[in-house]
Amino acid sequence: MNDVVNKEKNKIENIDNQQFVTFFIGKEIYGVDVLRVQEIIGITEITFVPNSLPFMKGVINLRGNVVPVLDMRKKLNMPDREYDQTTVIIIVEVKGRSIGMIVDAVSDVIDITTESIQNTPHFTAKIETDYIKSIGRKDDDLIIMLEVDKILSTDDLESITVKES
Amino acid sequence: MSIAINEIQEMFLEESREILQNLETDIIQLEGNFNKELFDNIFRYVHTLKGSSGIAGFNNLYEFSHQLENLMDLVRSEVVKVDEKIIDLLLECLDWFKSMIFGSDSDKKTAEGNKQNLLNVIFEIIQKSIVSDSGKKNLKSAPSAQSGSDRLKYYRIKTVFREDIYEFGIDPLSIIEDLSKNGRIVKRKVNKSKLPDFSKINPEKCYISWEMIFETELNYDRISEIFLFVNDDNSIEISDITEKYLGRDVSSERKIGEILVDKGIISEEEMENVVLEQQKLNSKIGDIILEKGLASKEDVNNALQEQTAVRSRIENSTVRVDTGKLDSLLNLLGEIVINQSSINRIAEELDDEVVFKLKNSLHGLDRTTREFQEQIMSIRMVQIGATFEQFRRFVRDSAKESGKEINFVIEGKETELDKTVIEKISDPLKHMIRNSIDHGIETAEDRIASGKSPTGNLTLRAYHQEGNVFIEVKDDGHGLNTVKIRKKAVSLGLISEDEEVSESRLLNFIFNPGFSTADQIGALSGRGVGMDVVRTNIEALRGSIEIFSKSGEGTTIRIKLPLTLAIIEGMLVKVGVSIYIIPLLSIIESIQPKEESVKTIEGKGEVVMVRGEYVPLVRVYDFFGINSKYQNPWEGLIVVVESGEERIGLLVDELLGQQQIVIKNLYHDIATSRAISGAAILGNGNVSLIIDIHGLTSEYRH
Repeated sequence: MNDVVNKEKNKIENIDNQQFVTFFIGKEIYGVDVLRVQEIIGITEITFVPNSLPFMKGVINLRGNVVPVLDMRKKLNMPDREYDQTTVIIIVEVKGRSIGMIVDAVSDVIDITTESIQNTPHFTAKIETDYIKSIGRKDDDLIIMLEVDKILSTDDLESITVKES
Repeated sequence: MSIAINEIQEMFLEESREILQNLETDIIQLEGNFNKELFDNIFRYVHTLKGSSGIAGFNNLYEFSHQLENLMDLVRSEVVKVDEKIIDLLLECLDWFKSMIFGSDSDKKTAEGNKQNLLNVIFEIIQKSIVSDSGKKNLKSAPSAQSGSDRLKYYRIKTVFREDIYEFGIDPLSIIEDLSKNGRIVKRKVNKSKLPDFSKINPEKCYISWEMIFETELNYDRISEIFLFVNDDNSIEISDITEKYLGRDVSSERKIGEILVDKGIISEEEMENVVLEQQKLNSKIGDIILEKGLASKEDVNNALQEQTAVRSRIENSTVRVDTGKLDSLLNLLGEIVINQSSINRIAEELDDEVVFKLKNSLHGLDRTTREFQEQIMSIRMVQIGATFEQFRRFVRDSAKESGKEINFVIEGKETELDKTVIEKISDPLKHMIRNSIDHGIETAEDRIASGKSPTGNLTLRAYHQEGNVFIEVKDDGHGLNTVKIRKKAVSLGLISEDEEVSESRLLNFIFNPGFSTADQIGALSGRGVGMDVVRTNIEALRGSIEIFSKSGEGTTIRIKLPLTLAIIEGMLVKVGVSIYIIPLLSIIESIQPKEESVKTIEGKGEVVMVRGEYVPLVRVYDFFGINSKYQNPWEGLIVVVESGEERIGLLVDELLGQQQIVIKNLYHDIATSRAISGAAILGNGNVSLIIDIHGLTSEYRH
């Protein structure tokens, strides 16, 4: 009995408020854990890396560090779009190193209660859903929460090894 | 709390690694060449090890080192003589420490078991020596007692008596006599400056003052007792200068003048005058002292030597820094440079008088940042000495094992190399040294038979030349047998039976994989890796390896290495809109070929004629899947590069010039191609990729 109560309590504590940085890709709103975001920078000169993964846009110079950037549109199988004034690179931290995500526009930093976050519903098989953590709701908007650790997911890594062999 | 303990243990590990390394070097040096100072060094290391292991809570080590220390004390008090047995024992103890501290769990277990054996040997020696020693009472037998010279103290005593001292019934002479009963006056300086003309002398007055260095076993209080009655009215200064006098005080660098004063060779007043003079003349203190005849040349030279000895001990004090911190410093600096160049660009656009001033100060800033960069790079540089020294033990053991006499010489210890290079050079070197001992140098009998001295010479040498570091392993053995190498090469199909092959090419075959030197030289066998692995390792460090050998006279293997891995000299080439960097080391030349010199070989790709030789042509734009300005080789440029023995031509649009670049790693497996080995940031802040010629060549072949 007590256990159940504790569990409930934990849930409540855990719920509290989680903060997310939200951004647009197409019409969709996506979010990543605010603690994982190092900074957001405008679009800058990107150096193409030959023979890299299709969604790998290239590398940039971030204050002397060479940081890879992903084109999230390519990653999410969406049509390309010209970069414009609102296009930004969100620098997130993955396994101790920085990775940039190119997104259409940054939106906001929002608080969401865990209550309004639900695990990923079944997607059509066309998209790998590994890096989509959950779906959140804020007011009337639907927010797709990304798991940054899995942006360069094992599937992708496996595909690299296959390619190499 | 537990964190603090971990930190202490961490520090202990760091410290002991250094101590053990130093110990090894010193013990090996001690062999056949006993010298007290060296042994004292060893003693000090063991003592430090004992102390720190106690603090870090390694009681096992503490007890063991305590026993070892007891034994060493007997050596210091000359009860036990250092012979081969003691050296072997010391080395065994060293190995024990090594496996206890750094070994795997099973190593530790074995060492634990071995501990009692070692201790027994130590006890045995101590027991024996005490028995044999009991007869000679005069010897300092107690192991823990300080040796005689340690009890002696040195004081500088400066006495200026009041002129009317005789009126108080005190004779300064009697005090000095008192003093000399209790010790020895090592040096004295009599100050006669107050002595008036002879005609004006009042015999009842004391004009003279003394400054002396006093050697005694008494402590400070007893000394001052001697001056008890004169202390109040006269100026008596007594200072303990034992450490300084013996030159043991290494806590601070001393001026040459201070050393001379401390030795009592010149007085403080004289020194003050000299210093004043020096400020006027701006010449060296030592010269002035000599000129004034205050001290002999020998004294000054001795003091100079002492000074440098102290200085070198101080200079060796180091700070450990995580290389990651240095890298991030370098990154930040790179960013400053880039910002700087963008300010420069803005300055170009302005036109105003102020701009001139701005540009001037920007130039100044530029110089500073360059200097800054060089300094940071130099922090990464480490002397190769420590790496070389660790081979002494290795050579000693291998020589014993193979029953050969070898004189191992190390040259160029102070040669500096990038830390990462040094870490990676150790294994290949070890392999080459092993080769020389096993296969190069003959046994004593064979050497005598061929008219050489029975002891073989093995030299490990490092030096700088043309912005590179060279490391040589040289022996005076029988050299490589080219006839056998030739046979082996023919049997492997590398050359044909009757092919004319230069000697150097033949020798270089031993770097080929599968070309086991054991078979081909026909001496000892059973070595793990071949020279091909050595070459691969060296090439991974962007170095190259050469071999010279003369039958009957010996073999020299020479490694050429870049000073640093972090910076390379690169050629910037343009392909379409992209700029790539080709390491200058790999580039042979660049040419613009004629249309007819480009040929296609069915199923094998394209080749281009370069100086009468066809080399494979790689179209960089095609290889990387990007656009380029020129598709025809005769419009663009061919950069001929070399990887190992192989040459290929790379088609690029144009050359942009060469430049020093700081290499940045690419993480996250961004580059799936082995043809890209890293990236660099160009002056305009853009990232440019570095082409790995090795990777590109091997990828192209598949």
